[in-house]
Amino acid sequence: MTKKAKAKRRNWRSSRRPLWQSALLYAIVIFWCFIVLFPFYWLGTTSVKRPIDVSRGPKYIPYRDFQPIPDHWEEMFGSQRESTERHFRNSLVSAIGSTILSVIIGAMAGYGLSRFRYFWGRLGWDNDNIAFWIISQRFLPPAIFIVPFLLLYNFFGLVDTYAGLILAYTMFNIPFAVWIMRDFFDGLPVDLEESARVDGATRWQAFLRIVLPLSAPGLVAVAIFSFIFAWNEYLFALMLTNYQAITMPVLIAGQNNTRGIEWWFISALTLMAVVPVIIMGLLLERFITRGLTAGAVKG
Amino acid sequence: MPSESAHPSDASGVPRGLAEDRVMKRVFLSPAVVILLALSIFPLLWSLGISFTDMQRGGSTIARQAAAEGIESGVGFLGLGFELTGRNYARLLGDTRLHSTVRNTMIYVFFGVCIQYSIGLGLATVLNQPFRGRNIVRVIFLMPMMMTPVAAAYTGRMFFDSNPLRSPLAHFFRELSKALQLENNISIPWFTDLGWAPVAILIIDAWQWIPFMTLILLAGMQAIPEDIYEAARVDGANAAQIFARITLPILLPISLTVILIRGLEIFKIIDVIVVTTGGGPGSATESLTLYIFEQALSNGNYGYASAIAYVLLVLVIIFAMLFLAAGRRLGGLRAS
Repeated sequence: MTKKAKAKRRNWRSSRRPLWQSALLYAIVIFWCFIVLFPFYWLGTTSVKRPIDVSRGPKYIPYRDFQPIPDHWEEMFGSQRESTERHFRNSLVSAIGSTILSVIIGAMAGYGLSRFRYFWGRLGWDNDNIAFWIISQRFLPPAIFIVPFLLLYNFFGLVDTYAGLILAYTMFNIPFAVWIMRDFFDGLPVDLEESARVDGATRWQAFLRIVLPLSAPGLVAVAIFSFIFAWNEYLFALMLTNYQAITMPVLIAGQNNTRGIEWWFISALTLMAVVPVIIMGLLLERFITRGLTAGAVKG
Repeated sequence: MPSESAHPSDASGVPRGLAEDRVMKRVFLSPAVVILLALSIFPLLWSLGISFTDMQRGGSTIARQAAAEGIESGVGFLGLGFELTGRNYARLLGDTRLHSTVRNTMIYVFFGVCIQYSIGLGLATVLNQPFRGRNIVRVIFLMPMMMTPVAAAYTGRMFFDSNPLRSPLAHFFRELSKALQLENNISIPWFTDLGWAPVAILIIDAWQWIPFMTLILLAGMQAIPEDIYEAARVDGANAAQIFARITLPILLPISLTVILIRGLEIFKIIDVIVVTTGGGPGSATESLTLYIFEQALSNGNYGYASAIAYVLLVLVIIFAMLFLAAGRRLGGLRAS
């Protein structure tokens, strides 16, 4: 085969594929979309079904199989309003609070590990050892913290407070934040900071004015991960709260035993709990991929 | 995992900054280190100490006996002053419920990782092909990850209800058996059967976390330069050969990383189990984390709960070491 013919064939190969492959591809895509979306659809329809339609179903299509009613949503924002708002607010405050702290502390430590040389003489640790120690904390099983946290939180009166939850979630999020940010700063050229410092900026000013603005994608990735983790966390929220600071996951899980399982109400609550995460995820999806690629592929 | 890439120089070539930098480098790293020392390392060591005491909610048994006999004992605050004992660790050996929770946890980790990795890899391969609407599909594929695990568990409970009047899945099985004219309707007792209950939990966890595998493996695939594929095609390799000989080996380090991360996450599983089966039937679905939680919060056995937590920690460390060793042998988790 001549070179030209080869090139031609290659182009044909890479730009087109046999029909059966396309069919298979679309079949898999559609099948998996169904697997992913149907549970969401089911939650949505269940939240507007009458109880009888839930237990004497299954009813699939609104207006054909069953008459949708807004009662459960009205209940959530009506008679249950105080409870819904409180739990939603608790989740928001603890998630946002710990996200802000993790991003700040994580970015600082990540920057330090990327730009300075540390040596912990007594342990003989350099930057890589320190970074590894920090990330390894993320993988400790939380179960090991149950007993000490119970005792500590009781002693310091942190049980059932925002501060307590924020502190715990920050601790869990810092390792990942440091790890991502360090990788991110490693990929950022030093020249800009150096020229700023030659111009008289302090280290701190260079960090705030030059490095941070340039690392927005990394910061956003860290923020999203921290937020989602704190928003969804269950074990510590269950253990460290008992009334005032109870978060959405604990509220949802607790629906089990209060009035028997009211699937319609749980579905509405669940959708409520998903909304903030979906909004963040959809808006910032490209940041996630970019931030992750920066860390994951290289790391 | 720390990356091996060379660190940009200290930038300490600027003489004026030397003294300032010596302070600043502490300022940057200290907050993270202080928080981790106070909230991670200290509790870790402390709970090791507690695991060697008979500490319980409301004091230790020894202290209460002593108090009943009118002896002043030195039992103080925060578990200081409790008498040391190895009893908790002796008790581990004979605790059959513990053994079954260890087995369950290993099952979740092993099968969970296998299922999630293989399906995640398949979906990443699909998403790596150009096709119409790929961007939207990619976002849709990510959606399960955004659901609160507790909520995903409730959703799973609706689907795995074995009553065909309530669950669309059971309804589907009933219709399927009708269509196939089977004598007995297919009806799976998801949450009540010893064998099926862990399967249901594995499916719920997989539904939620396959997107994570897909996301990262896809990022890895997209980082592979196109000319490698071109070269292979020119040499006459077919799609299967390219996948097995090029894509998979290049993805090996990142695969080890995601499997490690997911595996370590599955070790922590508790919320899905609490919502669906509560550990039952019997203790067929109970995970180690759930058992520790119950020992500590329901029974108030702080000492014993800490000892079990250390069993979990040892398992987790062994698991992580295996992967890190494998990664190092196969050219490092760090290579791209």
